[in-house]
Amino acid sequence: MKTLHFLSLALISATLTLQVSCSNNTTETTDKNKLSGNISISGAFALYPMVVKWAEEFQKLNPDVRIDVSAGGAGKGMTDVLQDMVDVAMISREIKEEEIQKGAWFIAVTKDAVLPVINSSNPVLAEIQKNGITKSQLSTLFTEGKKTTWGKLYNTKDKSNINVFNRSDACGAGEMWAKFFGKKQEDLAGTGVFGDPGIAEAVKNDVNGIGYNNVIYAYDLKSRVLYPGLAIIPIDLNENGVLDPEENFYQNLDSITNAIRTNRYPSPPARELFMVTKGKTFNPIVLAFYNWILTDGQKFIDEGGYVKLTDENIKSQIEKLK
Amino acid sequence: MSLLSRKFRDKTALFWMVISLVILLLMPILLAVGLYLKSLPILHEQSFFDLITESEWKPMQGKFGFLPFITSSLWVTFLSVLIAAPVCILTAIYLTQYARKKVLAFMHPVIDILAGLPSVIYGVWGVLIVVPFISKTVAPFFGLQTSGYTILAGAIVLSIMVIPFILNILIEVFRTIPEELTEASLSVGATKWETIKYVLLKKAYPGIISATGLGVARAFGETIAVLMVVGNVVQVPTSVFDSGYPLPALIANNYGEMLSIPRYDSALMLAALILFGIVLLFNFLSRMAIIRSEKNQ
Repeated sequence: MKTLHFLSLALISATLTLQVSCSNNTTETTDKNKLSGNISISGAFALYPMVVKWAEEFQKLNPDVRIDVSAGGAGKGMTDVLQDMVDVAMISREIKEEEIQKGAWFIAVTKDAVLPVINSSNPVLAEIQKNGITKSQLSTLFTEGKKTTWGKLYNTKDKSNINVFNRSDACGAGEMWAKFFGKKQEDLAGTGVFGDPGIAEAVKNDVNGIGYNNVIYAYDLKSRVLYPGLAIIPIDLNENGVLDPEENFYQNLDSITNAIRTNRYPSPPARELFMVTKGKTFNPIVLAFYNWILTDGQKFIDEGGYVKLTDENIKSQIEKLK
Repeated sequence: MSLLSRKFRDKTALFWMVISLVILLLMPILLAVGLYLKSLPILHEQSFFDLITESEWKPMQGKFGFLPFITSSLWVTFLSVLIAAPVCILTAIYLTQYARKKVLAFMHPVIDILAGLPSVIYGVWGVLIVVPFISKTVAPFFGLQTSGYTILAGAIVLSIMVIPFILNILIEVFRTIPEELTEASLSVGATKWETIKYVLLKKAYPGIISATGLGVARAFGETIAVLMVVGNVVQVPTSVFDSGYPLPALIANNYGEMLSIPRYDSALMLAALILFGIVLLFNFLSRMAIIRSEKNQ
């Protein structure tokens, strides 16, 4: 099942990146109270499962509305929306000044985080779970591109090379992961793999692999624990060389989202997720969808494996829509 | 219907045919001109020679070196054709000279299916089968450690993808060689293999060159399947076990950042122009080879 899941995601995402998204931008409102028409959404893998869920529920309430959602990375979403190829983009990083100048108009909808992942059969797993890894060690691995071994990192005799995996597509996860080290996505080293599911698969297949994933691609939504084959390399936040109990919140989906909500997991790589339109939107379907997400839609966030925004934040987002 | 209106219809049909032909002829020129105009901004800032010989790629800092991408493309392409060409030649000889007609009839749809599969399927197959095979079997055999996302993985996936194209042309080539020729050779006492080696292959030589050339052209531009297995690391590869970053992957991966970084779109258009130029060059060279060998005969 897992493989099938990855296969379909990889297939979808890969084909979507290559083809120009042809979308039907027409929206008609025949009845004043009844919404009808299509909108199209593309962008971040990080937001994709959540927006698919939201779209499903929203379409149940508004049967004449069709929402097409496709994943292809934040960069693709941004390009698509600014070139009028889709109505809304999902963005999993901060919106750049150049993009705002070109018309990007955004609201925050939820939060999540990027987590460092390794293979669950890692040769020094015991040491890793006891000691964690510091930010500077991660920075060395992900930005310097020097070859080293797991043994050297944890003072054991193990001689396996550390295989660093990085995203190849322009993406929010990469951007935020780099920002954690004060860098840009282009400064990240390592083998480039396409898409979030691609990195999860690469690390699952490589006992010496290390990569980074959005929460939702590391933990299984149904069982709410890590996907088989994956493990988290916990971050030693106070850098004392030992993973303290208060630094250890990776057991399951709920413990990690709780840590993100209470800011115990650092930000970045935790971050708000945005929906972007070109200019302030007056599209009735988009507006209705936005409003619904920020009110009734919030109840799907926990179940979806994401983190709710604070109440004041939600209020200010709704204010923005008016 | 009067003669006049018939003639008129004839004329209009002809008119549209000529227009279609002109559009077809103009397409590559329009493409090249469009790409060239789009890449002008970066060419004004840095010389073309510098761009293709520099190896540092840091768009945020305005550093655009194309060398890693060009060399990666060349590595993957040549390696894949090196794998595919012998396989295709041997298969084509077997199918046209030895196998029964039924086998060939059976193989045609098989080849067509292989040719028609979307490349992303080859990419997924590469990720699930070829990449682990390289990291767990091939690399350890040479005493190396790698994640498997390598030039070699890209070349293997690509070679499978170009085989149907090269094979289809080769089968046609071998079939069009007059039977009298091989019969004459057999009748003067040559064995079947000698006949193939000295008569068939010699006669088919231009066809083989042209089939391989077309394979190169297709392989060079292939994007998604290669992108998924090649590792996408910006470096000039020095071995088949290094990761690479071919030109088409560069364009596909960074499509998303085009809008926000100055000169990025221009640089990507230049990458497309270089790709276009190299494919054109290969087509031209393989044509030249054919013309030359035809003259010699």
